[in-house]
Amino acid sequence: MAAAEAEAGSVRLGMAGTVDPAMDEPGSAGPAMDEPGFAGPAMDEPGSAGPVMDEAGTAGPVELQVPPPPLPGLQLVRQGAEAHVYRGLFLGRAAVAKLRIPKRYRHPALEERLSRRRTAQEARSLLRCRRAGISAPAVYFVDSVTNSIYLEDIVDSVTVQDHINSVQQSGNYTSSLVPLAEKMGELLARMHDEDLIHGDLTTCNILLRPPTEKLDLVLIDFGLSFISGLPEDKGVDLYVLEKAFLSTHPDTEILFQALLKTYAATSKKSGPVIKRLDEVRLRGRKRSMIG
Amino acid sequence: MQVTHRLELFPERSVTVLLFNRVRNAAALRKKAMEGAIEGALINPAMIVDPFQILVAANKAVHLHKTGKMKTKSLYAEIIFSLSPNNNISDAFKKFGISDSDTAVLIVLVVDREKPVNLEDVASQVEGQQVSLDELPQLTDTAKVKKMYKITPQEEKMSTLLDSIVCRMSTKDVL
Repeated sequence: MAAAEAEAGSVRLGMAGTVDPAMDEPGSAGPAMDEPGFAGPAMDEPGSAGPVMDEAGTAGPVELQVPPPPLPGLQLVRQGAEAHVYRGLFLGRAAVAKLRIPKRYRHPALEERLSRRRTAQEARSLLRCRRAGISAPAVYFVDSVTNSIYLEDIVDSVTVQDHINSVQQSGNYTSSLVPLAEKMGELLARMHDEDLIHGDLTTCNILLRPPTEKLDLVLIDFGLSFISGLPEDKGVDLYVLEKAFLSTHPDTEILFQALLKTYAATSKKSGPVIKRLDEVRLRGRKRSMIG
Repeated sequence: MQVTHRLELFPERSVTVLLFNRVRNAAALRKKAMEGAIEGALINPAMIVDPFQILVAANKAVHLHKTGKMKTKSLYAEIIFSLSPNNNISDAFKKFGISDSDTAVLIVLVVDREKPVNLEDVASQVEGQQVSLDELPQLTDTAKVKKMYKITPQEEKMSTLLDSIVCRMSTKDVL
């Protein structure tokens, strides 16, 4: 089972399987590979360059083995298509390390350029968000050689995805999530007002700081982000979220409606964006473009 | 007293941070530092909010040193430069290095794990009292720091000063 290799562009419904950032105590002895869903062998000590990605015997791996970073308390969070994400202690603080996976099928010059650009975009977008007062993790270190990035870990956070799931599963009415949806709309409006396009908006890229009742949201994963003032780009950004939202969380139409309503109320430039969103919806897959 | 931290990504290197107060020979120390006669980076504690800030600068400097991509001439100079939010080297030295009238000095040492850290050697050159890093917050000039790093009011609301600073330090060259 290869991890979903779906590159960006298409709607990402989170990573392969459910992403469940297991929260063991930080500093738990040795790295723990907790998720049963992850393919790949358990890691022994941090720093051992054991084979990480197992391509199930396909002829020649197209990906390089990426050794885990030698951080104390190391935990694998997810093995995405673009990078392996780990948690651990870095310079004494809880951090997230995103180690980019080099793609060998790409021409090396292109690979290097793309890799560097994506890392730079992520770092730049995180700083841009923070300067505007939008919650996003702080960058601790950018490794220019491997194009990996070490960020602040939002400790004990839950993804909005997990939160919505747990609320729905515990039998609460979806309407109780409306304040959350409104907060999300407000956050995205502020981000788009900075002309920042996230590029991969899903409910697992928005975190809730503890305690969840405070609705303190943090945006993460800006690897596909870019700067644009175009309503088209903002509309598509919202569309990606809409698709991800409705497919991951069935029967939540009222939530996305509430999100859009607050978005429109918060952002001064929202008119054209919502208009484009409607047009993009009509454009979507399996839609007739006739007439 | 002092703080020592082994760099996770460069396990053979260790960073030690010492703080001195009531320093009388800042001018002489600065001269020695310029000549390269003293082991360590001499930093103005008023611009430092937390030892973590130093560790981030040191980590970056060691990385650049290892990959041959330093902008300055020595590892210790690079640490001071890494603290700065901009790419002006002499400005970095002026703002983050020590000046002749300073009465507090922060010294950062980067040593190979095998080599024993010669703290007494360094401490003996300082005419002042070594104090615990816990006293650093009293020496920090928060207003000056905010101005130097150009922290926006919105940012102050959503994050700690330390995180805002560190973010700028680490993204300086990708911007």
